[in-house]
Amino acid sequence: MFALRRWWDRYGIQATLTSVAIGTALLIRQTHGGVVLETYQWLTRPFLSKPAPPAQSSNPEMLELQERLIELESKNQRLEELLGFAQSAKAKGITAPVIGRSADHWWQQISLGRGAQDGVETGSVVRSPGGVVGRVTSVTARTSRVLLLSDPTSRVGVMISRSRAMGSMRGNLGNRAVIEFYEKNPDVRRGDVVTTSSLSGRFPSGLPVGRIESVDTAKSPAPEAVIELSAPIGALEWAIVYPKSPGEAESLPAPAPSDVPASPTPEESSTPSPTAP
Amino acid sequence: MSQALDNFIEQYPASRPFINWGVTAGSVFLCLLILPARLPGMELAGISPNWLLIWVVAWSVKRTLWQGAIAGLVLGLLQDAMTAPFPTHAISLAIVGAVTARLQKQRYVQEDFISVALIVFGMAVVAETIIAIQFSFEGGRSLLEIWTYHQFVALSSAILSSLWAPVVYFPLNRWWESMGQSDSI
Repeated sequence: MFALRRWWDRYGIQATLTSVAIGTALLIRQTHGGVVLETYQWLTRPFLSKPAPPAQSSNPEMLELQERLIELESKNQRLEELLGFAQSAKAKGITAPVIGRSADHWWQQISLGRGAQDGVETGSVVRSPGGVVGRVTSVTARTSRVLLLSDPTSRVGVMISRSRAMGSMRGNLGNRAVIEFYEKNPDVRRGDVVTTSSLSGRFPSGLPVGRIESVDTAKSPAPEAVIELSAPIGALEWAIVYPKSPGEAESLPAPAPSDVPASPTPEESSTPSPTAP
Repeated sequence: MSQALDNFIEQYPASRPFINWGVTAGSVFLCLLILPARLPGMELAGISPNWLLIWVVAWSVKRTLWQGAIAGLVLGLLQDAMTAPFPTHAISLAIVGAVTARLQKQRYVQEDFISVALIVFGMAVVAETIIAIQFSFEGGRSLLEIWTYHQFVALSSAILSSLWAPVVYFPLNRWWESMGQSDSI
């Protein structure tokens, strides 16, 4: 008893402070740094720029292409309605400023300045003008953290929109990603457009992802292709978050992003979730 | 400012440890806040200085092995909070803290600034290597990708962190020295 008392007199303050420090650190870790991110968001708010208005294209060729796209989209929707395949009306996106980048060098993440208060949920799809950017992995009241497509752990089922050849894509840092095809001889060429496939549980199908940059069909065990992501991932300032609408979640096989899917789709069964405790 | 603080501490000596720990914790919080920011001049190919590593080195240089290791553990857990819990940064930063505390730097280099910059350079390489080893065991990424990326990350992080090390080290060292001096008085 006396020895304990002497130990406490000598090391008591140190021991208390150490345990307080470790306890606080564990608490912050458990909450995914919510306090820090909220403070960061509050501090950076005055420095944020206004969102740039969508560039009004005066190029007649571009205008014609846009009109044709609208025409084709509406036609496509009518055909889907006729087939009884119609999805619910498009969810409205939440425009969010990019307030921070990854806090270490190994993860490709960004922080957005909109959170649960604005309707952002874990698993929401994040897009920017140009294509898909990534997926929300954790949310606080006013911020959210996004795992980018260029992160090696982020895997997406994708499809070559010309030939419908399917594969799974993983990030490869910077603005590049690698597709592994399921088939031995996929019909794929340089310059082909890549979109998310209907097999992807985490992303709605048909979103543009990027373009094929090079193809390596001799690669074993599966042919591979390098794609250039069409979203400017290195220079993002604003992004648009699409929370999963209820109708969409029903049509998807694995809506829960943090669990292993009940019926694992082949491209995502091995994906570790970076936010799982 | 410092004069007013000195007067305050002289008047209320009981508040001194609280102020000391408050400033220390505040400096950690500042380092955490600056982690997601990419300010101009602090970035090299998308890589920014590893502020928490600089803090751990600044803390451990004049402390014991256990103090260094525990500070590394705490800051590693905090960095996990800011990114993802696996692989953990706690192991790498704890080892950095322990090794820095064990280094007998006065035997090799005299000048404080330069030796701290050198230690930060070496420790940044050590920390990134430990993270890379964890990634290799974890799987999910290919070994070739991990170690090619490791070369790039370790070098850029080491250069940037050692260049920015005095910014963290100088004020913290001054503060802890002033606290230590009033201790001996």
